Amino acid sequence: MSMILSSLIIVPLIGAIIALLMGGTREKLSKYVAIAFSAITLIISTLLMLGMFGDFEDLEEAFVWIQNSSFIINYILTVDGLSILMVFLTSLLVFLVNIFSLDEHRENNNYFYALIMAMEVGLMGVYLAADYFLFYIMWEVTLIPMYFMISWYGGPRRHYSAIKFFIYTHVASLVMLIGFFLIGYMSVEPGSAVNFSFVAIKSGIASVALGSQAIIFVLLFFGFMVKMPSVPFHTWLPDAHTEAPTEGSVLLAGVMLKMGSYGIIRICIEALPDAAAYWQWAIIAIALISIIYGAYGCIAQTDLKKMVAFSSISHMGMVMLGIGCLSEAGITFAVFQMFAHGLITAMLFMVCGMTGHKVGTREIPLLGGLAGVMPVYATFMMIAFMASLGLPGLVGFWGEFPVIYAFYEFILENNVIWMLVFCMLSLMLTAGYYLWAMQRTLFGPETKKIDLTKAHDVGHFEFAVLLVLSILVALFGVWPDAALQFLEPYANSLIVMGVI
Amino acid sequence: MVSEIITSIFGDLTPLATLIIMTVAALIMPGIQMFGKKHTVTWIIALIMVILTMAIDICLLVDGYTGYYLGVNCNPYSLMMGLLFLIVLFLVVLVSNHSIETTKSHAGAYYSLLFGATLGMLFVTTSLDLLTIFVGVELTSISSYALVSLKRRDGRASEAAVKYAIIGGLSTALTLYGISMIYGCAGTTYIPELAIAIGYEETALWAFIIGTVCMIAGYGFKIAAVPFHMWAPDVYEGSATPVSMFLATGSKKMGLAVFIQVFLFMFILSANFGTIYGEVAQYTFAIIAAITMTVGNVVAIAQTNIKRMLAYSSIAQAGYILIMMAVMTPEAGAAGMFHMFTHVFMKGGAFLIVGALICAGIGEKLSDYKGLGKRAPFLAAAMMLFLFSLAGIPPLAGFTSKFFLFASAVGVPGEASGEFIWLAFIAILNSAISLYYYARVVKAMYIEKGSSTEKVKIPAVFTLAIVICLVFVIVLGVYPDLIYGLCENAIGYLI
Repeated sequence: MSMILSSLIIVPLIGAIIALLMGGTREKLSKYVAIAFSAITLIISTLLMLGMFGDFEDLEEAFVWIQNSSFIINYILTVDGLSILMVFLTSLLVFLVNIFSLDEHRENNNYFYALIMAMEVGLMGVYLAADYFLFYIMWEVTLIPMYFMISWYGGPRRHYSAIKFFIYTHVASLVMLIGFFLIGYMSVEPGSAVNFSFVAIKSGIASVALGSQAIIFVLLFFGFMVKMPSVPFHTWLPDAHTEAPTEGSVLLAGVMLKMGSYGIIRICIEALPDAAAYWQWAIIAIALISIIYGAYGCIAQTDLKKMVAFSSISHMGMVMLGIGCLSEAGITFAVFQMFAHGLITAMLFMVCGMTGHKVGTREIPLLGGLAGVMPVYATFMMIAFMASLGLPGLVGFWGEFPVIYAFYEFILENNVIWMLVFCMLSLMLTAGYYLWAMQRTLFGPETKKIDLTKAHDVGHFEFAVLLVLSILVALFGVWPDAALQFLEPYANSLIVMGVI
Repeated sequence: MVSEIITSIFGDLTPLATLIIMTVAALIMPGIQMFGKKHTVTWIIALIMVILTMAIDICLLVDGYTGYYLGVNCNPYSLMMGLLFLIVLFLVVLVSNHSIETTKSHAGAYYSLLFGATLGMLFVTTSLDLLTIFVGVELTSISSYALVSLKRRDGRASEAAVKYAIIGGLSTALTLYGISMIYGCAGTTYIPELAIAIGYEETALWAFIIGTVCMIAGYGFKIAAVPFHMWAPDVYEGSATPVSMFLATGSKKMGLAVFIQVFLFMFILSANFGTIYGEVAQYTFAIIAAITMTVGNVVAIAQTNIKRMLAYSSIAQAGYILIMMAVMTPEAGAAGMFHMFTHVFMKGGAFLIVGALICAGIGEKLSDYKGLGKRAPFLAAAMMLFLFSLAGIPPLAGFTSKFFLFASAVGVPGEASGEFIWLAFIAILNSAISLYYYARVVKAMYIEKGSSTEKVKIPAVFTLAIVICLVFVIVLGVYPDLIYGLCENAIGYLI
């Protein structure tokens, strides 16, 4: 049995431990440790994605971990079209974030890199796990590093934001845990032990009454929805993003929010398709509210980073909308949107986070005419904004428009053509807030409100990272098939399972 | 194998082996102190005694020994619970010689009382009769009153001792009253017979229920279940930290062991005969469990003294463990027992750190812990893990045991019974609340700046004890079968 998938978890874990131990005089070297280990992870995941290790099915690793008269808990790692994109995204962003951070020196560097690597452990675990217990453990493992990341390296209100983030998401995951209990207990024959593997539960839960399934669905959905986050449980996100360091924001928005939507597809939709159909309208409603409210919230923000945070709510709403259509196109492009949003939002948070360091403030009313002072910075910001608002030719387009197309099919089918107005509204608002923000920060006369003489353009490492991301954004924009080829078999497998 | 050697030494008395050594140890300690005059000598002999007892206990447990002698049942259950108490005793004795709070008291008396209290606990686990259980509990209680008052020049300790003794007396009276009511109804105090008796005895229904409630209340004082919890924070705060640890992790578990032996055993047995008593007791326990965990957690939020906070948190933990009494299935019993074990390590570890820091001259206030992450990196990291484990964050032991425990409340495989799902909900909500005050300590240690940056030095034995706890907190989180299997086996044997 190959250990490829385990190595994706073990390599960052070793990196985290080594980085953690490099205190004192070796502190400066810790970043190289983190870069080295995240590079190895990136290489493994890239090779995995390119199929160098063989078919995905052959890579499954399964051991029984805990076994007694009432439980069978497994250590199962699997990879398929859905998870490979997320695994690749995670390893890519962690590596890029490590490089990105080189231009800045922090106190206790070793802790910082240990936290990043620990986060990678949890994220990889979530995307690879195929057992409810393992999934939950990995889900929680991501939480603690993020908490410390915000409260050690964050902005002025970091303590409040960190604890808010921690408690919000922990409560949500506890509710999810109840859902796991219920789904486990209901899916087995009386008298036999509960097997928490995804496969065992999926086959067992089908015979359970729809009413029970619907209740479990709500509990699980709640847990995932808070993480995504969807309105009305989104309030932790803007706070966490505003206070988190740039690197933390990138990982939080880039891959951590995807855990929520990944969970919805992997668990709610795959295991409980009937309940998903039962709640379809509720999912659609939550998605639409998130999209519109997030976009509307963006317009009101004066802090660049907070604006991007709200735009994340809006874009993750788009993911939820795709999922809610419960069609092949809907789910395929919802996943693509997750991938696209991961790339774009990483860029967005990098440029917006940089504004704070380079110029001294992220307040939009205080900024203006930055394009003249920092041309390279302005270029990247424009690329990021354009990609995010869905300019054809960039990756955001392939995330957003097919989802709206899937939704269009859905509303035609249900004869509610008037709902198209929401899509129009969201597109208008998205374009509106980005263009308006760009107008106010980059163009126009140079601002007199702050001292721009000390403003400096992007550093070497920051430039390299942003360049790589821009290339990927453009590459997947003109060649979306590079990612879609993984999703096609996945969507087919969903059809075979009768999920959609 | 090894148990044959033990059998050949003790003969018919093998079921009493651990009890005999504990008795001897309790009796010789004052003498050794008197002639040896040296604390360290007494300490080493005490430690040897504990390790010896523990070794015998483990050997018998591994070999699956069962035996009976004069009302003493030696079986996997009693050995397993005994192991728990002996682990607590071991950790307490290990640090006692270097804890500045205990070295000032008379060492001989101190160890003697500790052994006496443990003897009571061991005796309780081997009994299946209300009266012998009562005697064991009293032995522990009376020793504990004296233990608390050992720091007698400290005003808080005296207050704690008086409070503890008075409330303990009240609980004793209640228990005895309950036992006499039950005896009046059933005509026996032997639990297996009692289980059969309540199967068809309907004439004295209310008397029996009153008796049960009195007993629950009486032993409820011992485990500090709400509303019988008022003494706990004062006593834990007032007594020396090793003693607080002993009470919070050991003495409390004795109350829970009594619950397992009396109620879990009796009602599961009597359910075969079809009575309604079981259900009444189940709901009583469910309500007590829900209130206990909620009050414990909510009040803990307001505490600024770490020992008081830990006291309230251990009240809350008792609430979680009481879930097993409400659910009353063998799975729940095993899960509850497993949680008792993990609780020993995580709460014990937290108390050990508090004790170690007191030795290093750092107070018990939350504000004293500011900046500890820099001053004592190991202690702070260990404390963080213990607290996160208590809050139930994976992959630590506290999570795994809570997972088993809450899962048992959801139902048995094949049907989510629905009856106690609300209890699981409350417990999970409580876990979320508890995270708030645990995270506050972590925040104080790592994020806030302290007034001093001096490195903290603690005695080596404390480090050793903390490392032991830490290893178990991590290992049991990843590999729970190490103990859970034994717990399942123990409960299976009892029921």
